[in-house]
Amino acid sequence: MRPLYFVIISLVCALAAFTGPASAGPADITVTSSSIDPPILMKGDTGTLTIAIQNNGAEPVAIRSARLFGSGVVPLSDSYPAVGELGTKNTKTFTFTVRADGGEGTFYPVFVLDFVNAGSLRYPIPVQVENTPLSISVIKKPDAFSEGRTADVTIRVGNPRPNAASGVQVIPQGTGLKAIPSSAFIGALAPDASGTAVFNLTPAAETTAAFQVVWRNGINTHTADLILPITFDEDKRQADPVITNVEVRQEAKGYRIVGDVMNAGLESARSVIISPGEPATPTDPYRIYIVGTLDPDDASPFEVTLQADADVTEIPIVIEYRDADGNRYTATTMVDVGGTTMALSGGEDGELPLAGIVVVVLLALGIVGAIYYSWRRK
Amino acid sequence: MEIGFLRVLFDPGRFFESRMRDEPSLKVPALIALVIGVIGAVSAALAANMFVGILPAEAQAIGVLMVGFAAVVAVVGGFLTWFIYGIVFYIISMAFKGEGSLARTLEVTGYGFLPQIFGGIIGALLSYQIIANLTLPIARSPEEIAAVTENLAHVIATDPLAQIAGVVTILFLAWSANIWVFGMKHARNLSTRNAALTVGIPVGLYIIYLLIALAGWL
Repeated sequence: MRPLYFVIISLVCALAAFTGPASAGPADITVTSSSIDPPILMKGDTGTLTIAIQNNGAEPVAIRSARLFGSGVVPLSDSYPAVGELGTKNTKTFTFTVRADGGEGTFYPVFVLDFVNAGSLRYPIPVQVENTPLSISVIKKPDAFSEGRTADVTIRVGNPRPNAASGVQVIPQGTGLKAIPSSAFIGALAPDASGTAVFNLTPAAETTAAFQVVWRNGINTHTADLILPITFDEDKRQADPVITNVEVRQEAKGYRIVGDVMNAGLESARSVIISPGEPATPTDPYRIYIVGTLDPDDASPFEVTLQADADVTEIPIVIEYRDADGNRYTATTMVDVGGTTMALSGGEDGELPLAGIVVVVLLALGIVGAIYYSWRRK
Repeated sequence: MEIGFLRVLFDPGRFFESRMRDEPSLKVPALIALVIGVIGAVSAALAANMFVGILPAEAQAIGVLMVGFAAVVAVVGGFLTWFIYGIVFYIISMAFKGEGSLARTLEVTGYGFLPQIFGGIIGALLSYQIIANLTLPIARSPEEIAAVTENLAHVIATDPLAQIAGVVTILFLAWSANIWVFGMKHARNLSTRNAALTVGIPVGLYIIYLLIALAGWL
């Protein structure tokens, strides 16, 4: 061998000795998986994007930094400025906090790995954004609401989203409205699943009830509202006491009104009380008449006694009753006494006046005395 | 005016005993029947006048006639009642072989009505009190008049004062019956027992009728 060749070979070997072993390139690093929590973001949601890489090469790979960038779904967390060396067959995960700033659709934020020996890996990560909220509907409510009457309202919450919703609860709201329970917890709702909540609503006045559904998508809280107008109307099933077969009897100190009260409704009327209303004045012995409970289609006789002025031609008969919840109702039936009105004045009640009794006793004593005297003188 | 007949109220035995010495005279009994009739006429006029108040203005003229008619009927009723009682006593006493003229029977019956004058006065006062307590509406049709009249009868019947008036009537009737017993004893020459039966049967039945009416069973 010529000396020149020997020198060249020696230099090459020396150079190789100083530079160390040969480093693996971008081709040996692969992104093995990526995931985001929650799996489907809504606009404005914040999620956690986790990316895993693996070194498939035979040599370690020196990585300078890892970062994420893109539009629509933007990173909120910092990049990894000094990643270091990734050994052969080793994996490493990178976690980024991202936020969906764009509209709906699939966005591709780019994951970038910069290697020490130049070169980089760019890997787009698909992130889906969908704004579909949970659906909320009323599946059961009374035909009509009534003031102070408790009614059951059933709410169904469905999840049309492609990912699960967690912590689902329904909160009824509204002024002049009492709701029991004050909120209902449904919990997690899988995609295309639904849950129901039943509320007892007691409106004090006509109002608007808002059922707010609150749920979480990952760490993000969302709400959806359902408006239910509360308007009062006649309940088709409610008790309906009707007065029939009325007979007005004139008495020494006023009127005696007798008749039948019948429940023409579909629900029981409880604590039914019948009394004469203004301008009549209730009098003994039947100032009021307590019927009690009237089941549907039941009838009961009643009797009230009252006084009224001579110019009164109609007297209201007031029926007071309650429903199963204790709510009080009144119904009034006008009873015509015109044409037979004959009001009396001056008498206190139907009892014998004391002065009259005294006079009768004195007369009796006098007459008995006269008779006795006549027989003694016979 | 001779008022010795007032003795019949407290001493009917001796009064009738003395009357038997004279011929039957119906003057005083007729006067008693007339007074009773007049008192009854006052009560009837009050009632009729109250009824007139129910009538509409155009029918008020008829109402005045009604008041007059009621008064006349009451006066006639006084005499009629006297005769009826007398005849009934006379007929019943025939069953006990009573002896004496019908005129004598009518005479003692008429004297026996004397307590009814006081009863009538008290009754008229009570009637006035009952009527004064009533406020009547104006009836505008025959149907309303009928309805009000029906109610009026019911009201008066159930009024406590009417019940007191009924008791007073019974008391004075008992007093009259006592006088009639003495009267029939002398007028028809009956024993005390037969005289009591003669008077007691019709008067007792009438008192039973009054009690039933008072109790509201009629």
